[in-house]
Amino acid sequence: MINSSSSKQVGQDQQATSEPRSPRPKIKMVKSEESDKRILNKKLKDVEISIPIVYGNVSFWLGKKASEYQSHKWTVYVRGATNEDIGVVIKRVVFQLHSSFKNPTRVVESPPFELSEAGWGEFEIAITLYFHIDLCDKPLTLYHHLKLYPEDESGPMSSKKPVVAECFDEIAFPEPSEGFLVRVQNHPAVNVPRLPTGFTLPPPVPFEDANRKKRGDTKDHPLSQWFMNFSEADELLQLAAARQQVQAYLAKLRRQISMIDGQHQQLKTISDS
Amino acid sequence: MDAKDILGLPKNSITQEKKSRPQKDSQRKPDGISREVYALTGGFPPLIPAIEASQLKKRPPSDEKITWQWLPFTNSARKDNLHLYHWVRIVNGVPPTGDYSFAKYNKMWTKEETDQLFELCQSFDLRFIVIADRFPSSRTVEELKDRYYSVARAMLAARAPSPGDISGHPLVKEPYNVSQETERKRALSMVLSQTKQQERKDAEVLAEAKRITESRMVARGAEESELPVPSNAGPESAERAAIPSDTVSPSANVQHPSAAVAPSTITVDNASILASLRMLRVYLRTYALDQMVQAASSSAGLRTIKRVEQTLQELGVNLKPRVPTKAVCAEHLELRREILTLLNLQKQLQYKEAEGSSYRDGSYGDTPGTPKHLSHGGDQDRIFVPDMNFAGERIGKRDQKRKAPGRLSEAPLPAHKRPRKLKAADL
Repeated sequence: MINSSSSKQVGQDQQATSEPRSPRPKIKMVKSEESDKRILNKKLKDVEISIPIVYGNVSFWLGKKASEYQSHKWTVYVRGATNEDIGVVIKRVVFQLHSSFKNPTRVVESPPFELSEAGWGEFEIAITLYFHIDLCDKPLTLYHHLKLYPEDESGPMSSKKPVVAECFDEIAFPEPSEGFLVRVQNHPAVNVPRLPTGFTLPPPVPFEDANRKKRGDTKDHPLSQWFMNFSEADELLQLAAARQQVQAYLAKLRRQISMIDGQHQQLKTISDS
Repeated sequence: MDAKDILGLPKNSITQEKKSRPQKDSQRKPDGISREVYALTGGFPPLIPAIEASQLKKRPPSDEKITWQWLPFTNSARKDNLHLYHWVRIVNGVPPTGDYSFAKYNKMWTKEETDQLFELCQSFDLRFIVIADRFPSSRTVEELKDRYYSVARAMLAARAPSPGDISGHPLVKEPYNVSQETERKRALSMVLSQTKQQERKDAEVLAEAKRITESRMVARGAEESELPVPSNAGPESAERAAIPSDTVSPSANVQHPSAAVAPSTITVDNASILASLRMLRVYLRTYALDQMVQAASSSAGLRTIKRVEQTLQELGVNLKPRVPTKAVCAEHLELRREILTLLNLQKQLQYKEAEGSSYRDGSYGDTPGTPKHLSHGGDQDRIFVPDMNFAGERIGKRDQKRKAPGRLSEAPLPAHKRPRKLKAADL
């Protein structure tokens, strides 16, 4: 397991950086090492790294150039929710298309993780994210239903304005290794929570990815003008308002119940006498 | 008849059927036993007669005089000296000789057999599988091993100067356990011959067991305010239960929906979900929310769940959050829980009001008040009337809702509830 191996490493590092290099009796060293491991294990467990992503598709009707089998040109993609470079965590993405496409398994080796095709049909695309092996060796699969046709079927189809279907989600790594934390600590695409007090990370090692010739972020992506906005704030506000209403009504119900309980008590005493 | 004319079919077909049936019937009559008994055996004559019909009639030989006596007997297969009694068939006053007829089924080792075994053991270097193949009488590998080791142990004990000398010898310290070995090998072969489906089922059960031990560990850990390491306890206990098989699928994150374990408190529920999520190493926020919503609604019936969703819609909240960040999901989950509490309290209130009316009248007869309380249709159950539908009191505007959430709850609610309250006060 990644966790156990990294915690061993951390244990040793901890010794190297924070403790003075004086020889210690063996028994003591083992004890402190073990307690260090336990503390670090604990700490690493409370730290969850998350990467907000948006995945979906943009589809343009080809208008005059549309044929029966190629009526739309579409692009399916996975991007950082804030358009930052998710290549820091994701190594490659595999898009599994409908079997009617030639070579339906499309592999994208570097960001921006997108795939463009032309077609006429809507189908489910399986998007499998493969992370850098040293960060996570387990892939994650998302499912997106390709949308080509607008909701409002009655309106005229425009070849200038595309149909956009995007979905927001967060990739969560509940127990990241120390190396993981080091790699992403200040990266804009990754949410790293505040580390527990006293827990210090070694400085990051410069990470060079040989594949990176083009930039991985999607801030100036040609399709970025169509990207949807996902604001956490709006939804939080909505939820807070709803909760307030519910809580107010709950209080009301509780008052009513206690009132009735009181009435029952009175009636009981009356009937008993 | 006319139909047959029209169709042009031959007229005598019916009479032909009638003729063939009585023939078949007489063929079926069984000989010697009643028809019903014959039918029990299948209703058809057997292919080969099991017993010669002649044998059935003439059994007792005339020259022999048969009597039966109640006599004691012993069993050579037994080690204790047990004397039992049974009926014995005496022919012409002479009781039968020989050992108890079932004694031969005891697995006795003769000196000859044992010598053969030891010879083979020497020539084949204690390779019992080969020895078992070469052994003249059919004995299982476990039986041979058992005999060899017990004889070897006996010899060792006999030749040792004192019992203490040999107590450390593996033959004495770890004696061969036949039943255990047979069982172990049987279990091994079962695991080996498992079908893929069985493997999958086993993996699911083990994963479920892991989750349960997880939740227990975490619950205990939460009490002791110390987080234990989850991964070690699970596999160990699972391995003790069954022979370890690495059957968990290594393919892309298989997040199969597993039914929520029904615990006593909500916190343990959540903790077990969190623990199982941690085991996944990577997961999607929407998946986590889904699991937690399922767990939270595990104690509620389908109708209650639908009502929760209805309430969410009335409140203008997406059933699945549009921006499911960690914070949003947490809020969403809390909201769902609060709505569940709300619905339960509502029900409680209804019951209490019904109780109240029975107190007042002293009977369960219908009073003008109570039926109206309880006869709420689905529509009247609405707690939060969305802005748009509520005519009169407030002209619904989305902004207003956002600006002053508190106010909204007061205006429509009393209006909705007022008739109820009056009724209660009236009585």
